[in-house]
Amino acid sequence: MTVWREAVGTPAARVEGPAKVTGRAGYTYDRPVTDPAYAFPVQATIARGRVASIDSAAAAGVEGVLAVVTHRDAARLADTGDAELAVLQSDEVGFRGQFVGVVVAETPQAARYAAGLVRVEYEQRPHDTELRADRPGLYAPEQVNGGFVSDTDEGDVDAAMEAAAVTVDRAYTTPMEFNSPMEPHVSVAVWDPGERAPGGGFAEGARLTLFDSTQGPHVVRSTLAQVFGLPPERVRVISPYVGGGFGSKGMPHAHNVLAALAAWAVPGRPVKLALTRQQMFALAGHRTPTIQRVRLGAGADGRLTAVAHEVVEHTSAIKEFAEQTAVGARMMYAAPNRRTSHRLAALDVPVPSWMRAPGEAPGFFALEVAMDELAQACGLDPIELRARNDPEVDPESGRPWSGRHLVRCLREGAARFGWAERTAPGTRLVGRELVGLGVAASTYPYYRLPGSRAVVEYEGGGRYTVRIGAADIGTGAWTALTQIAADALGCRLRAVRVEIGDSDLPAATVAGGSSGTTSWGSAVVAACRAFRHVYGEQPPAGAEAGADMPDDPDAERFAMHSFGAQFAEVRVDADTGEVRVPRMLGVFSVGRVVNPRTARSQFIGGMTMGLSMALHERGVLDHRTGHVINHDLAEYHIATHADVVDVDAVWLDEEDVHAGPLGARGIGEIGIVGAAAAIANAVHNATGVRVRDLPITPDVLLR
Amino acid sequence: MDFLRPATWEDALAMKAARPDATPIQGGTDVMVEINLDKGRPTALLDLNPVAELSRWSWTAGPAPMLRVGAGVTYTRLIAELGGWLPGLAQASRTVGSPQIRNRGTLVGNLGAASPAGDGHPPLLASGALVEAESVRGTRLIPIGEFYMGVKRNALEGDELIRAVHVPPAAGPQCFAKVGTRNAMVIAVCSFAVALDLRARRAGTGIGSAAPTPRRAHAAEEFLAGELDWDGAGPVDPALARRFGELVAEAAAPIDDVRGRADYRRHALAVMARRALGWAWAEREV
Ligand SMILES: Cc1cc2nc3c(=O)[nH]c(=O)nc-3n(C[C@H](O)[C@H](O)[C@H](O)COP(=O)(O)OP(=O)(O)OC[C@H]3O[C@@H](n4cnc5c(N)ncnc54)[C@H](O)[C@@H]3O)c2cc1C
Repeated sequence: MTVWREAVGTPAARVEGPAKVTGRAGYTYDRPVTDPAYAFPVQATIARGRVASIDSAAAAGVEGVLAVVTHRDAARLADTGDAELAVLQSDEVGFRGQFVGVVVAETPQAARYAAGLVRVEYEQRPHDTELRADRPGLYAPEQVNGGFVSDTDEGDVDAAMEAAAVTVDRAYTTPMEFNSPMEPHVSVAVWDPGERAPGGGFAEGARLTLFDSTQGPHVVRSTLAQVFGLPPERVRVISPYVGGGFGSKGMPHAHNVLAALAAWAVPGRPVKLALTRQQMFALAGHRTPTIQRVRLGAGADGRLTAVAHEVVEHTSAIKEFAEQTAVGARMMYAAPNRRTSHRLAALDVPVPSWMRAPGEAPGFFALEVAMDELAQACGLDPIELRARNDPEVDPESGRPWSGRHLVRCLREGAARFGWAERTAPGTRLVGRELVGLGVAASTYPYYRLPGSRAVVEYEGGGRYTVRIGAADIGTGAWTALTQIAADALGCRLRAVRVEIGDSDLPAATVAGGSSGTTSWGSAVVAACRAFRHVYGEQPPAGAEAGADMPDDPDAERFAMHSFGAQFAEVRVDADTGEVRVPRMLGVFSVGRVVNPRTARSQFIGGMTMGLSMALHERGVLDHRTGHVINHDLAEYHIATHADVVDVDAVWLDEEDVHAGPLGARGIGEIGIVGAAAAIANAVHNATGVRVRDLPITPDVLLR
Repeated sequence: MDFLRPATWEDALAMKAARPDATPIQGGTDVMVEINLDKGRPTALLDLNPVAELSRWSWTAGPAPMLRVGAGVTYTRLIAELGGWLPGLAQASRTVGSPQIRNRGTLVGNLGAASPAGDGHPPLLASGALVEAESVRGTRLIPIGEFYMGVKRNALEGDELIRAVHVPPAAGPQCFAKVGTRNAMVIAVCSFAVALDLRARRAGTGIGSAAPTPRRAHAAEEFLAGELDWDGAGPVDPALARRFGELVAEAAAPIDDVRGRADYRRHALAVMARRALGWAWAEREV
């Protein structure tokens, strides 16, 4: 069943655009609160050990300082099961940069200055931050992110590799990467007095309001309620505008708890906390570095007999996060023998977390470069190789695809991109530049997460308000939901106002897993239908109806994934090895596109992030100190405008009839998947040099 | 931290004499970064922005007039107003940071910071600039080659300020080249400048980011003076250009770091030197 269409599918301009470009959109830190105080954290300068002593006298003496809070005097949390969020609850230090204290003062300057005067002495223990594939203590997690099993093994990969006419067996690495949204992580905590429990705990009467920059107000609310031992209705999280997240604001991090603890320490004062760019490198999550072994076995005709993708990556010793790097290899290509595994090293490093397309983004760098190597070994065009290995049904579940159009994407892209001009590796010299073309496949699963609810109210005068506690982190969700509601109600776009970004609004799942539009959108459709069902076309003013997101029975019967083909042209300076990317093209199959304007931004934004991953981004951990030494945007390089020339995205005109009422599968993450591989493959085509370690820097191309 | 705000140059010099520990601040694009990164907290900042005459440029007197670029002249203005006379310096200035940084940052700030990676240094070395340093004790002109003393150290005395840089107008084509790991907002992996003096039949060179200090490639300069066919038409002899590149690379003393390996830097310097010479020479013909 599809919604009636007038607004959906049109390039409506962002509903919040004018507010953003005129500065009226109040981001979290700018939120006016009465009589605010400001917090600045004190961070551990060792990677592992315990705090032996703290001298905060000098800090406390700074004019304007209201409180210096450390583990000795911070309020006790009700639930410390999540070690990342058990802030200032013990003297233990699990990674460099962890919070060991916070200063609250009348001005941000005084807080920061005083934080620098807090003297902390440590009892240091040996630490270990270095990821190696041969290190002892690697373990298989119970499951990996997304709820997938850690390992799969089907058929006999070793025997198939043994028997294969052509094989590829290579190691690929990706470095520690950082989400780095433009707006840093910000929390403004306001406590309503309530009764203070004896011993400084949080009595039931207390009420916390958190203005937060988050991808999920409801997620922050439920998590913090548990951490502070408060009933959820006594916690409110407000977050209308978010300056990017890329996964790093998908779940609460330590700073949320720190802001609330800081505010608790200065009764009656709201407290503002904004992480600095540098603090974000230790405290806002990151993508684990990966060491990936990919083995491909094929007949001389390129038909795969074996696919093995075995990954070693890190997590923090204090909290497990297992990126699902090899999961995509389970469904991507037809091969009777398949093995995937994830092994973790629990290191004394900051806590890793979601970063755009966790799993697929690093995993498809390895898998899709390996496919390029196999094409070369078989003497096949890389597109033809992928076409030959396109599975009829999902190799893993045996289910039919709801729509797998990878080969169409590849062929469409080849025609548009001028793929036929591709020459043999290292043979096309234009001026002093080696020119190459590369391709890679891309995929991302369809997720529709249960737990969202929308409510529709008729305001009178032809105007409707739709409420759902969702988040627009710059993606265009606000606009898409307005379009969906307009069509589902059968009214003009301008007649609908959507309210999001507040946990007092009906429950909504996180803006993550490219699931927002599909999950919240189907709740909105259901609510609009319920409204029309009860009130018809002539509702009385004040009429209100709501609905939960309906179940998704087809998700159990079909293998539902989006697909894409990524193309890149690179020009490599033959003498200096400098790489430029004059052109990228993505062709995607994602079901229905609700808003072509904002969707295009998501695709090309993801592809640009993939370009940045290919050529620039690399966190450098100093293993002597456990410190990410390039922890700012001067040294942690992200592509600049001057690096991005012509990035274009198109998509198949389609609808996935199995993907809920919208026929849409989600678009936020697929743009990054395979982009780095397409560039690495193009670099190989240009130079003949195969790069298996990211990022691709000029020096590795000159050998 | 004290914040000193002289209204005139005389006040500035007096304050610096009284407070040699004070850190001058012009555009602040280095000073503020260092403070934010907690790399030592200055005991005092000496804000030179109110001193109006610093933001002017003029010609020096004498038989061979030079451009006297005041300490407050930003990169943006240098490019727009002086680019015709100082093409190498303007070319380097265009690669500094972003428009915002070029609107605040100054060449003299680059000299004050004396980072081996500063983009202003190679063209100043190549064209034989002089640093006008002044204190209450008087003024001296420091040849640019004697100005850099070590990583982020320069020849200024504690009571001295830089009033201006004196740069000879180009006497021939000039060229600047830089390799970075991205296309903008990047600290050079290495950089190189060449300035040809067609009348004196000399070439100046400057190497950046490939030794503890920016430096010239003396042997390469002598080689060009002696071997280049200064009257010849047509492109530079490729063998000569290659040799020039080798000599430039030999003059460097690079290290391995996050931005690049030492051997890569040497290689890239040779390439840049060869190309910069070729480009500069080609410009002579138009
Ligand atoms: C984002 C960013 C990008 C950058 N990119 C580049 C780049 O690409 N290339 C590059 O070379 N640099 C770059 N820089 C560094 C910086 O912009 C330059 O070094 C600039 O030239 C500094 O000039 P300023 O006027 O801002 O100096 P300031 O920060 O004001 O001062 C710099 C130093 O000079 C001293 N000083 C200033 N004026 C005087 C004076 N009159 N007498 C004596 N000492 C003085 C100061 O005490 C300080 O030590 C970048 C900086 C940033 C923040």
